[in-house]
Amino acid sequence: MNKQEIIDKINKVVITVIASVGIFALIGLFYFIIKEALPALINDGAGIFTSFDWYPTDYNNPEFGILAMLIGSVLITFLASIIVIPIGYMVAFFMFDYANKYEKNILKSTIDLLSGVPSVIIGSFLLFHVSPLFLKLGAWSGENILIGAFGLGILSLPYTASLMQEAMNAVDKNLKEGALALGSTRFTAGFKVVSKAALPGILNAGILTINRIIGETMVVLMVAGGAALIPRSFFDPVRPLTAAIAGEMGEVEMGSMHYHALFLAGLTLLLISFVLTLISKKMSRRWSH
Amino acid sequence: MKKVLLIVLVVSMFLISFAETLVIKGSNTVFPVSQLWIEELQKVYPEMTMTLEGAGSSTGIAGLFNGTADIGNSSRYLKSSEIQKMLEDGKYIIPIVFGYDGIAVIVHKDLGIDNISSADLKRIYAGEISTWNQLNPNLPRQRIVVYSRNTASGTYETFSEKIMNKDRMAASVRMVESTQAEINAIATNRYAIGYAGVGYVTQDVKVLTVDGVYPTKTDILGGIYPISRPLFFFIEATNQFPSSGPIKKYIDFGLSKRGQELVEQAGYVAAYGF
Repeated sequence: MNKQEIIDKINKVVITVIASVGIFALIGLFYFIIKEALPALINDGAGIFTSFDWYPTDYNNPEFGILAMLIGSVLITFLASIIVIPIGYMVAFFMFDYANKYEKNILKSTIDLLSGVPSVIIGSFLLFHVSPLFLKLGAWSGENILIGAFGLGILSLPYTASLMQEAMNAVDKNLKEGALALGSTRFTAGFKVVSKAALPGILNAGILTINRIIGETMVVLMVAGGAALIPRSFFDPVRPLTAAIAGEMGEVEMGSMHYHALFLAGLTLLLISFVLTLISKKMSRRWSH
Repeated sequence: MKKVLLIVLVVSMFLISFAETLVIKGSNTVFPVSQLWIEELQKVYPEMTMTLEGAGSSTGIAGLFNGTADIGNSSRYLKSSEIQKMLEDGKYIIPIVFGYDGIAVIVHKDLGIDNISSADLKRIYAGEISTWNQLNPNLPRQRIVVYSRNTASGTYETFSEKIMNKDRMAASVRMVESTQAEINAIATNRYAIGYAGVGYVTQDVKVLTVDGVYPTKTDILGGIYPISRPLFFFIEATNQFPSSGPIKKYIDFGLSKRGQELVEQAGYVAAYGF
């Protein structure tokens, strides 16, 4: 082997090792979280997933029921998704078809800028300027599931819009041109023809959005309300799992059941996210054929 | 040249690590007091390096146990599990009281009550009373928006101990991450109630008397105001009480006349020299 080949082989090894660091980090993360969550699972696994009462610091009878918070997470994700997915679709549709070059530029820049705003800034903005408006509207609590859903929507809109636009752009131009040639309106061509063709990609974007939203912590910590109850109105506060973990992990006694329960909550979110990612991968595989 | 720089770097790191350092961790209620103290101490002892962190009382005490902190600020006493750990680890962690903190019960300025009994306060937080008119028929028939600090906070623990008798709060109680956020929320919501350390209270909210007692300095110090607690810093005194070094300097300053003046300046009640 000459010098060139040796250098080439060394480079290959170095790159492979560094690339595998990511894989090892992921495996390590899963291992760590499962290891820390296991004691809580063994101790009272069924109780944790079926009880609505989260009272981990109760001296006499601590309870670690995450059900109310899990439902809160799911509901706020659902609400945010039905707000942001249609709007994201409309933004993508507008950029795909109706926008001229100038408008496209402005919209794209604005959305890119929005995607760079830190979640804590969005949370602060909502807390100080939007939540008093809610109080004026008659809400009994200025921080509630609705304002939390708005915050999550603002945060994930750039992500949704750009993914959906990519999906629609990936459709063969001939399809759209053919529809227009056959006499359909611009709207029908975009809505009924191209979107149908891009449907797997659009659904994929939807699922990735949901995945992004359910894991969001800062916005819900600040404006979702912090009360672990099942909301009965849009103005009721909720306490998503991510907010509970963020708020309590700093002060929890290492090795206590509270600590393990928080990790179990984290594991639950990780599994939900994992399942969503798998579904998304399956869908995009089907789409690329 | 590079080798020389490297040697200089290593030697200077060595020298810096031998300078007197003081690591203070713990309660964010005690944080403002520590901050005032170390600002003045830095002027008197410029060669001392002092770091301050406020991530909660439990982190300060944990820091003393694992050797990552010299001083553990705390707004609560040791838990029985921590005393157990003292025995297991063979360590002696001692508290030094430097001041008292009253926890004020606050409501919106326009709400028509001035006093609340500790029994009613408990009922509100336990969820037994849910509208203002159930407390007092003169008040509007509006849902009480109940605020509390989250369970990580020393303020929460004191409130839970003194008012709730360690019973559970209702699920509808809004857990907030910081006292300032709580005060902002109560200043803007006409039907809200909450509690905060006396040092944080501003003119934007109204302070209620509890069982007829207003959280004044004398009443907090004398233990007459029902929701008050001593503030500590803990040190490790396994082998001996510190007789020299940065920890001793900190203790001497904190308990001195000037240190106690700074406790008052931070909004708390000085423990000594009253």
